[in-house]
Amino acid sequence: MPGAEAVLPALAQAALLVLLGPLVSGVIQKLKARLQCRAGASVAQPYRDLAKLLRKGTVQSDTASAFYRAIPPLVLAAVVCAAAMVPVVVLPAAGGFTLGDAILLVGLLALARFLTALGALDAGGAFGGMGASREMTVAPLVEPVLLLVVFSVATAAGTTDLGLIAARRASDPAVWHSPDLLALAAMLVLLLAETGRIPVDNPDTHLELTMIHEGMLLEQSGPGLAAMALASHTKQLVMMAVVGALFFPIGLAPRPEPLLLVPAALAFLGKTAVLALFVGLVESSYAKLRFFRLPQFLGMGFLCAFLALALRVL
Amino acid sequence: MSSPLATALIDYLGALLLFTMIVILGSSQLYRTIYAVAAQSAFLAAAAAVLAIATRNLDLWVIAGITIVVKAVLLPWLLIGVVRRIGVKREIEPVVPTLLTLAIAAGTVVLSFQLAASLGAVRQTVTGNALPVGVALTLLGVLVMASRKTALAQMVGLFACENGIFFTAIAVSQGMPLIIEIGVLLDVVLGALVMGIFVLRVRSSVDADIADLSRLRA
Repeated sequence: MPGAEAVLPALAQAALLVLLGPLVSGVIQKLKARLQCRAGASVAQPYRDLAKLLRKGTVQSDTASAFYRAIPPLVLAAVVCAAAMVPVVVLPAAGGFTLGDAILLVGLLALARFLTALGALDAGGAFGGMGASREMTVAPLVEPVLLLVVFSVATAAGTTDLGLIAARRASDPAVWHSPDLLALAAMLVLLLAETGRIPVDNPDTHLELTMIHEGMLLEQSGPGLAAMALASHTKQLVMMAVVGALFFPIGLAPRPEPLLLVPAALAFLGKTAVLALFVGLVESSYAKLRFFRLPQFLGMGFLCAFLALALRVL
Repeated sequence: MSSPLATALIDYLGALLLFTMIVILGSSQLYRTIYAVAAQSAFLAAAAAVLAIATRNLDLWVIAGITIVVKAVLLPWLLIGVVRRIGVKREIEPVVPTLLTLAIAAGTVVLSFQLAASLGAVRQTVTGNALPVGVALTLLGVLVMASRKTALAQMVGLFACENGIFFTAIAVSQGMPLIIEIGVLLDVVLGALVMGIFVLRVRSSVDADIADLSRLRA
């Protein structure tokens, strides 16, 4: 069993990701609004939305089973657990996090996805069922990409523990090989898909036939909807933190000391800002892909990830 | 420039070349494939420049310059001009589904790495992964030509294929004689011109596409 000194930094970082998740969504919304020459809502708007939802009551479909109410907390819990696997500002002590590795992270994200789809089907709404069916069509194209990217990087670092990968790559800059370029390209495709951003899904639409993730949340309301929204904000930031940990592990503090934490936090904010800028620019400059074109787009990401692994192994 | 650095840079550029190839294979917009092949040619010129510094070979500088001017600017400009002239449908219709093409591409790259591994003695120190990447690019260019219906999309494949041959040549032999390189480039330019005029003529006289020319009629 890991001691408290190993677990505490991981939990603190997970809390940081949960707290900052809505802010990143707010910044992307603001950026998109500015690019469309609108003033846009304040970057704190996602927090206000969450606070509003938490004050409301829950309305539930008559056909929903008893399990339905348990779904939002379970989804949120899975995503928060996944957040604890990622090194954000502090590198793990010599023994690694020991809370879990990248494969467990992929599994927890898959669990969250499965529960979300289950909840959408349970409520019995037509849109929920369509959203769930689409999400499950996209999932087998998305999850292997993340696994292939992780394997490609893990082959070089010799471990699947994200903290140890980041530590190895931070200590030796020469570890950046040519396959990492392809893996990074795959990861950026994946980031758009996993966060439900525009070429794959449109986060702004409700009640449209094209939606994927929002369709599954239609039947949720009140605190349950707040939990689902918080889970998707957190998932987005977790994916960004994974990109940072796998490819740009610079500036991570080797020990949890205040003097080392400040530059680490600044570096993390910088990396997140760059990725948020990327997401916002892509969202503003591309149209949403037709659903049946999605396999093609995600297939390019898959091929990039596959080649990243092939270049590394062969 | 030190040799390990040159090797690393060539490796990075090889990965970028493969990435542009994936974009060409996977995208369904004609314009995007043309921009991708232009970017690929620019990366190729950068690779030639890196090798020129590493080996102090003046010819490679000339080749890099010609590549930038002809392949990264002139030929894409020509292609875009033809696309505008004939007002062709900008969406690419593949012969085989794009996902299948991507799967074949994955197999092709693995195959070329296996092939290059069996040529152990040929793999030189400065080139790193350049030989398998070059072979893969060449084969993938052929794949693009084989899997597209319209002549313009096939031309993009031809350029990509030529880029692969070029990359293999400069990386393995550190530059062919200048006269051969220029000859090859002229061939490509001429081919592009002939194909462009051919497409324009066919379009203006019979209003048919290359895919329709499968059967001769008396």
